[in-house]
Amino acid sequence: MRKKAENMKVLFNPASAAVVGASDKPDKLGFHVMKSLISGGFAGRIIPVNPNSDEIMGLKAFPSLADYNEPIDLAILVLPAKLIPGVFRECAARGVKGIVLITAGFKEIDDPGGADLHEEIAGIANDAGIPVIGPNTFGMINFHTNLNASFTPEFSRLMKGSVALVSQSGGISHLLGFLAMRMDVGFSKIIGLGNRLNVDFDQMVDYLMGDPDTRVIMLYMEGVDNPVRLLETAKKHHGKKPIIINKTGSSAKGDQASRSHTGSMAGRHEIYMGSFSQAGMLAVDHTEALLDTARAFASCPLPDGPGVAVLSGQAGPGMAACDVCEARGLKIVQFTEKTQQKINENLPPLALRTNPVDMGPAWYDASAIEKIAKAAMEDDHVDGILFMMVFASANVDALKGIRGLLEDWAQRKPLISCILSPPGVWDEQIKALEQSGSLINYPTPERAANAMANLWEYKKMQTR
Amino acid sequence: MKIIEKALKEKRTSLSEYEAKQILASYQIPVAREILVDDVKNLMNAAEEIGYPLVLKGCSPDIAHKTEKGLIRVDIRNFKEAGEAFEEVMTAMDGSQKAVLVQEMVKGERELVIGLTRDPQFGPCVMFGLGGIFTEILKDISFRVAPLEKRDALEMMREIKSRKILESVRGMPAVDLDMLADILINVGRIGLENEAVKEIDINPVIISGNKPVAVDALMVLEERKA
Repeated sequence: MRKKAENMKVLFNPASAAVVGASDKPDKLGFHVMKSLISGGFAGRIIPVNPNSDEIMGLKAFPSLADYNEPIDLAILVLPAKLIPGVFRECAARGVKGIVLITAGFKEIDDPGGADLHEEIAGIANDAGIPVIGPNTFGMINFHTNLNASFTPEFSRLMKGSVALVSQSGGISHLLGFLAMRMDVGFSKIIGLGNRLNVDFDQMVDYLMGDPDTRVIMLYMEGVDNPVRLLETAKKHHGKKPIIINKTGSSAKGDQASRSHTGSMAGRHEIYMGSFSQAGMLAVDHTEALLDTARAFASCPLPDGPGVAVLSGQAGPGMAACDVCEARGLKIVQFTEKTQQKINENLPPLALRTNPVDMGPAWYDASAIEKIAKAAMEDDHVDGILFMMVFASANVDALKGIRGLLEDWAQRKPLISCILSPPGVWDEQIKALEQSGSLINYPTPERAANAMANLWEYKKMQTR
Repeated sequence: MKIIEKALKEKRTSLSEYEAKQILASYQIPVAREILVDDVKNLMNAAEEIGYPLVLKGCSPDIAHKTEKGLIRVDIRNFKEAGEAFEEVMTAMDGSQKAVLVQEMVKGERELVIGLTRDPQFGPCVMFGLGGIFTEILKDISFRVAPLEKRDALEMMREIKSRKILESVRGMPAVDLDMLADILINVGRIGLENEAVKEIDINPVIISGNKPVAVDALMVLEERKA
């Protein structure tokens, strides 16, 4: 067990990676894995293994792992299932530290032979202390070492960052990856657990808690054999790094044959949800919320309380944000007298001047906006700020006007925004502010408010 | 627990309401005052001791959902009514171990449900929710895996949509949440300490004044192989 945990570090940070089943034919997965490693910029040695080629993508190929004499840290396997036990034995003999097993056709298939193969290779890997990602996975990516050990080279286009994704579904991993590219979310690692030969959610959480590149952990789960192990692992690391989890299966029915109400209403989903909260993990109910929440965790401090100031360039988006706040347990606080006075001095009585603040009438006066916003942000009753601003031709310079304020603020209290313009108008400015860590922006007021609500939800779990 | 062992020896898969409540009471869960009788003489003594108004319920290990089977008579005001109700309920029951439970009528507008289910992966899990006839209709429930800590129990109460029912509403006092939390924790303990208990339904738990009282209980058993 200990050896496996030690080897896990090498699995994600190998000095060399062999691709067994490497190919230069695009209709083979071995082609795409090679492309991922090379175009992803992996700095270590890449060793293609294929008995039928001397050279693949300009690299010398070897007939088998045994024919390569230098150490091999990571082996990525893209071969038919029946060949895998033999290759596992070679890996054990060669002292390979980690395996990514892309091949499918083990426990997950109807043929009972699949389960037998599964047991056989699990035995070999466990005896040798080799952690295995997969089988039946697209692979894994460690962005900070440019290691793309997957069959999707395009994953390397993701920004480097501090969010890790551990997923039981290849489809959802790709979906979240591509969505993250569009939302500029930075990743540390993506791990496709596949059919979990000997690496499951609990081991990944254990590893990522100690991973310096990871600050936020996202889990996408369908179902596991032993959920209690994950709960215990999460509890052990309580408060260290946030874990956000999305579990599908809410449509599954309870035990219909049960004789008690409790038994018939106990869908697995309800129990899973209760147990996640017991273990201090934040459950969200859809994939988009997973990314939205992870971004907020990666960019904001946690609020000290539920008090929110809603500062809005127009009344409508502010109202939409307030509705979500109310429903999610955040409080639209009353400002202190001092704050209210400052706002009244700078905002003509043409719109809402209490919380939510409609700053519309002050748009042409950047210094007024700055004074209003700053007073509200610094108010003692305010634990977090929701900032809404929608483009209008007349306020085109407004974002420029508050840039200094946002940069000075530097997320002293969490500030989450919904600033939106037609494509191309404010996008670059928003991106720059996000990259400097002064802003975290969402496309709708509801998503911004939900992100804030999730920060508070998590904070409550930590301090209970 | 002797009651459970006896039931298992008799190859029963559930406990009677009376037996189930004795177990609850042994785990410091407040239950309605009640006496089990099987003839009119004992009925008289029991009615005197509990005091009117009364509730009479058919009680046997074979009956799970008594309301549907017409085995409950409420608001019994005197001995004449008690006698009639006793005869009706006894006649309506079949089976050998039949008896009637003479129970105080616990008054309260608010009904909750507390339950336990033994999940194959999580083990004993405790449920809390809105009780009475609303349990199945609204499914406003929350679960935690046993053992529960106090904060888990308090969170379960905050989690249900109708949580406001626990506050001071319409002239009713706020519910004693500490007491409710202790009940939830102890129901989890029953599951942890008694392998044979497969499911528990305490429905309703009626809030009398500000205190929760277990008014009806069902306990389903399952012999575990060692």
